[in-house]
Amino acid sequence: MSDTSLIDELPGELLMWVLIISELLVFGAGLIAFMAVRLTDPAGFAEAQSHLYRTGAAFNTAVLVTSGYLAAQALNWRKVARRGAARLALIGAALLGVMFLIIKGVEYTGKAAQGITFETHPFFMFYYLLTGFHAAHVLAGVGILLLVAWRDDARNIEAGAQFWHMVDLVWIMLFPVIYLLG
Amino acid sequence: MSQASSFFKCARQRLPNSLPRAWLTLLALSLVSALLTMLPVLPELLGAGILILALIKARVILALYLDLAKSQVWLRGFTAVLTGFVLVIFSLYRM
Repeated sequence: MSDTSLIDELPGELLMWVLIISELLVFGAGLIAFMAVRLTDPAGFAEAQSHLYRTGAAFNTAVLVTSGYLAAQALNWRKVARRGAARLALIGAALLGVMFLIIKGVEYTGKAAQGITFETHPFFMFYYLLTGFHAAHVLAGVGILLLVAWRDDARNIEAGAQFWHMVDLVWIMLFPVIYLLG
Repeated sequence: MSQASSFFKCARQRLPNSLPRAWLTLLALSLVSALLTMLPVLPELLGAGILILALIKARVILALYLDLAKSQVWLRGFTAVLTGFVLVIFSLYRM
């Protein structure tokens, strides 16, 4: 009985929380594996990390948290029947997601120009896998945000915003480990 | 029990209580993380500082963007798991 009430305390759909927890576990395991492999060559990992575009990645953190703010605000506005404002906020959040992907694309292009690939160093294998998998979630999230801006039922917006916050949360943990802990 | 509840009550009060404040808090913490990497500090302190800031940001997102502030049990659970994760990452960083 108490279990049921505890689950009922979760905002939104239970399945969205199952998805959020699953994704956090997958990325968490990836980051722990990254740090474990780093033990085999700390100097090589630090040298490889120095090639990363930290400023762009830090800027992308600001882009994502701002986008998350707009998605959260969209839900609040939809609940008080401000449909136009909610839709605009969702479109704004999606556009910031596109900006994130453009900056990420510039970063990948820069790496390619330097001849840095998956095989250059184990650091870059994890870098491409984890940031690439995250970017794929951002791309999916942009599509979901636009979809719920169109089909703007409050429950749809809540589910779409929760997916987007999960993407945000993953980046908040991924950025310091991949880009900053040298 | 009452001590524990007063601790979480205090922690809840420390969270920014509105979305704009949560957003500004996240931006400020991100800026502090970036500035921290430019300071000449010991790697241990740098690593700990960066990870603690990430943990605080994650908690703000969970509490206010994902609205878990309304369910302290779930917020505490997520925070505990994320704290464990950060401790594992920090241990591997310092090995």
